[in-house]
Amino acid sequence: MQSRFYLSLLLISSLVLIAFMGIAFNREMNPEWKKYQTEYKDFLVKNAKDASTRQRAERIQIGMQQIYIKSLERSDRCMSCHRGVENPLMAEAEQPHRQHSGNYLENHPIAKFGCTVCHRGQDRATNMREAHGEEHTHWDFPIIPSKYIQGSCAQCHDYEMLRQEGGEKVARGEELFRQKGCQGCHKIGGKGGDLGKDIAGIGSRPFAYFSMKHVVGDHNLYNWVKQHFDDPRAIVPESEMRVFLTDEEAELLTTYMMTFVTAEMPRNYTLIKNVIQPKIDGESLYKMYCIACHSDGRVSLYDEIFKRTIPAIRNPAFTRSIDDEHLRTIIKEGRKGTQMTAWKVSAAGLTDADINKIIMYITMNRPEKKPEPFGFLKYKADVRHGEELYNIRCEFCHGAEGKGGEGFLGINLRNPAVQKADPEFLAITVRDGREGTPMVSFGMKGLKLDNQDIADMVAYVKTLSQKK
Amino acid sequence: MIKKTRNTEGVSRRDFLGLAAFGAAILGSIGVLAGSLRFVKADVYSEESKKFKIGKKENFPIGTTRKFDDKNVFIFSDDNGLFAISAICTHLGCIVSPSEFGFQCPCHGSRYDENGNVIGGPAPRPLEWYEINQEVDGTLFIDAGKAVPQGTKYLFA
Ligand code: FES
Repeated sequence: MQSRFYLSLLLISSLVLIAFMGIAFNREMNPEWKKYQTEYKDFLVKNAKDASTRQRAERIQIGMQQIYIKSLERSDRCMSCHRGVENPLMAEAEQPHRQHSGNYLENHPIAKFGCTVCHRGQDRATNMREAHGEEHTHWDFPIIPSKYIQGSCAQCHDYEMLRQEGGEKVARGEELFRQKGCQGCHKIGGKGGDLGKDIAGIGSRPFAYFSMKHVVGDHNLYNWVKQHFDDPRAIVPESEMRVFLTDEEAELLTTYMMTFVTAEMPRNYTLIKNVIQPKIDGESLYKMYCIACHSDGRVSLYDEIFKRTIPAIRNPAFTRSIDDEHLRTIIKEGRKGTQMTAWKVSAAGLTDADINKIIMYITMNRPEKKPEPFGFLKYKADVRHGEELYNIRCEFCHGAEGKGGEGFLGINLRNPAVQKADPEFLAITVRDGREGTPMVSFGMKGLKLDNQDIADMVAYVKTLSQKK
Repeated sequence: MIKKTRNTEGVSRRDFLGLAAFGAAILGSIGVLAGSLRFVKADVYSEESKKFKIGKKENFPIGTTRKFDDKNVFIFSDDNGLFAISAICTHLGCIVSPSEFGFQCPCHGSRYDENGNVIGGPAPRPLEWYEINQEVDGTLFIDAGKAVPQGTKYLFA
């Protein structure tokens, strides 16, 4: 009885083994690429235009193809299916047989570059699904959609060359990156604000780094980046990112993001034609670092995401009443309690020269005529009276505690930039108001408070930081 | 019942089971062994290809001499066809250059005639000749991994 049990066990397990062997054998004999290579060969034999071509076509050996490139650490097997990629006779064929488009391969011979260094995907895979890394293969860098592929060009080429010679998408992406003020919040190469994440290496970050929960379609890096540009909060609900991009711009910027990769190309692959960096003037700097929040800086605006008013820093009313030194302090140190970043070199990485250029740009339209001096020191300010006036005049916009913030039009008067400011400057602001902002003039031009009252109010405001 | 079966089929049920079980086990084992032989030879190797394209045959009219610097191969074209000779000295691997008698090595003075035969110096062997072949689309390529006998020249239609 016992031996019978063991014999049955042996029989069944052997049969299972044989069945698996059959499957393995079948797979080994019929890999996906074999079908494509047979098609390729048959096509060439059938369409050969002369005898010698036919002969050569008949000599094609079917087998797995691999391009091994030591310095790039790649073993690209793409040609196992795409055998016609270098063959001009396949220019019109359907994929996977078609010749590579354009003249890219002339300067990028496959033997030297392989495929995945530009197209990404899984180099060693031997079937389409795994090689392209699509759907749920969990390959970190699936094949890059052709609309973003120019991001790969920047691994070896400079943007000036790309702009002129077939890389205009990524070159435009780079421009947009500077114009949309991305670095106002994101650091790259040590420069930029810190409200957002450092984006160094984002183009080669593994899949697991990103929250894919809300991504529509394939869950991969490219879709995450693009959809995040379309609507940051749809992908990362707690994001504070401000974006104003058309669909095309989002695509261009996604392309540009793919240039931030950590691996460096070996020297003998890179070709930098233009080593001269473009001159960056004050306007460009303003766009790079300031525009995302301050827009063109002409009018102040209430921001729905930050829940606060963003001041109009290029408005004459502002620039007239603030001197360069004061501006420099604000830019360098930032404003605590607000989104304003400290831009000094040890924080957001801007050099003094950069900051000077920005100040020059901001104050470009500063009116010649300085505001009439207030002469704050002439007045003996009465803080108690100032408080009474504050409660009537200022509380409505700045809040009872002077904190401004959600639901209030005014700025936070407790922040150091106000508290440390020269009372003369504050008094002038109260007296003349600030164009382009809800701050009206309280002096003779506006609400007709006399200077003594204004001095009292300012004196009270200066005490706010000591209050609980 | 059992008796009857034994009589009519000549094999007991247990014997049949044993035969089948051992048979299948042996078959399976042979299959696995035979299958694993398949893995002795790899489909592809992790080494850089020695093949490189040199363009169309029209680029090499009779009388051409060209050196592919990064590959260290000379290409010649004469009445009898195209041929490729290695530029790597067989002594210690310096790169030879063409001279009036054939090739001259700068390192230890080996000299070769125009077919690559040693005519002086320490070189132990003649320079290698390589196979030239043609892609389907007509592009020529040299396979520097495949040496061919001296004097092998290729005529392409
Ligand atoms: S290497 Fe050429 S002679 Fe020694």
